[in-house]
Amino acid sequence: MFDAVSSNLPFLMGGFWVTVKLAFFALAGGIPLGILVGLGRISRNKWVYYPVTFYVNVIRNIPLLLVIFWFYFVMPIIIGSPLDPFPSAVISFIIFEATYFGEILRAGYQSVSKGQIEAGYSTGLTYVQTTRYILIPIALRRMLPSMITQSIVTYQDTCLAFVIGLPEFVRRARIVDTLEVRSIQLFGFVAIVFFITCYIGSVISRRFEVREQEGG
Amino acid sequence: MIQIKDMSKWYGDFQVLKDITEEIKQGQTVVVCGPSGSGKSTLLRCINGLEPFQKGEIFVDGVSVSDPATNLYKLRTEIGMVFQRFELYPHMTAIQNITLAPMKARSKPRKEAEAKAMELLQRVGIPDKAHEYPANLSGGQQQRVAIARSLVMEPKIMMFDEPTSALDPEMIKEVLDVMIGLSKGGMTMIVVTHEMGFAREVSDEIIFMDEGMIIERGTDISFFQKPKNPRTKEFLDKILI
Ligand SMILES: Nc1ncnc2c1ncn2[C@@H]1O[C@H](COP(=O)(O)OP(=O)(O)OP(=O)(O)O)[C@@H](O)[C@H]1O
Ligand SMILES: [Mg+2]
Repeated sequence: MFDAVSSNLPFLMGGFWVTVKLAFFALAGGIPLGILVGLGRISRNKWVYYPVTFYVNVIRNIPLLLVIFWFYFVMPIIIGSPLDPFPSAVISFIIFEATYFGEILRAGYQSVSKGQIEAGYSTGLTYVQTTRYILIPIALRRMLPSMITQSIVTYQDTCLAFVIGLPEFVRRARIVDTLEVRSIQLFGFVAIVFFITCYIGSVISRRFEVREQEGG
Repeated sequence: MIQIKDMSKWYGDFQVLKDITEEIKQGQTVVVCGPSGSGKSTLLRCINGLEPFQKGEIFVDGVSVSDPATNLYKLRTEIGMVFQRFELYPHMTAIQNITLAPMKARSKPRKEAEAKAMELLQRVGIPDKAHEYPANLSGGQQQRVAIARSLVMEPKIMMFDEPTSALDPEMIKEVLDVMIGLSKGGMTMIVVTHEMGFAREVSDEIIFMDEGMIIERGTDISFFQKPKNPRTKEFLDKILI
């Protein structure tokens, strides 16, 4: 029944590995850059705030597919040498996802009430202590479920990198399909793998949401 | 204990507080009332240096709040503040909420801070809630934890900003009782509230604010039965239904 999958399993799973690596690097770069973007978005310094806000608004209003495309085809013209699809995709994802993680951080920060911060100050805590023991823990707790959700979305979106020829999971399934013509079976397999991995992620995410409600 | 002299504050062009002059002596309880937006919260926030002001002076126990040389962090440990919306730290249990400041701002050992916190929880009547998170406490219980969180720093002054106005009626009394206990125990207090029963029972002075000014003051609620200012009468008619 799964003959086309089983006979091409190493090739397909190699693609899955590319997908996982791409998602890993996209998040490893996108989350730290997103933290910087988020800090820029809450900065009172207009030389920081306006450029960062411009970047966020531009990127968030362009489809990810176009960012990937644009980066892969335009960057070589600017830098004068061709790019490999993998680093090109990684950089596109980092640029794109950082804006989303940045907005999550900003929302988390804004969810901490001014009163909670003032409660800290009014008991004599310093700025650093208030930030460390009150602001950051509360904001992080609020952010965690959205961060996990966005990470899952990033992982799913990695398959868009097929447009620049990256041999990731979906693209390899497509390659096998052109030879074996077993579309339902092959793409069914890809869907199941995505479903299982994402489902695990969303279960983890929900656990954090429940914890938040309990206050812990 | 607190002296406010000709104090004014602006937010941009908007003058929130206008020439406020007031003296609060040790052990006194002063009740502040007035319509929304009259500057009551802002006044409290100026007293403990959470907000700067542009004119006049405030002295707390002889120390100028606006003097740049004043250590505001130290000054604030001497003024407890209780908020309308409790503002407990949601990621900490009741006892952790209380012990945070003594452990971090005063470097007290955990054991000592916790013993003191338990004593205060006893005093506000909820020792059994020490290890609950705020989300699992009723509003009245949360506010009592918030009071204990302020008291743990052994402040000389306690400020309350509408401490019961976010509470269901059946919980108001449990919070007021704690406050009455504090007042009768000799604490210097400034209380923004519209609970006139509380004012009648413990206040040494009642101040009525409108549009950033103190427009009426008296030593007893009965004073307000013949207010000089029509705005006071209008307001009191609304809250004393
Ligand atoms: N950060 C701020 N920037 C500008 N205006 C402010 C700021 N904070 C408060 N105000 C304004 O100052 C005025 C006084 O506010 P304040 O909160 O002190 O009033 P209040 O008497 O405590 O009212 P309430 O009963 O609603 O709590 C209001 O008109 C308010 O809009
Ligand atoms: Mg107020």
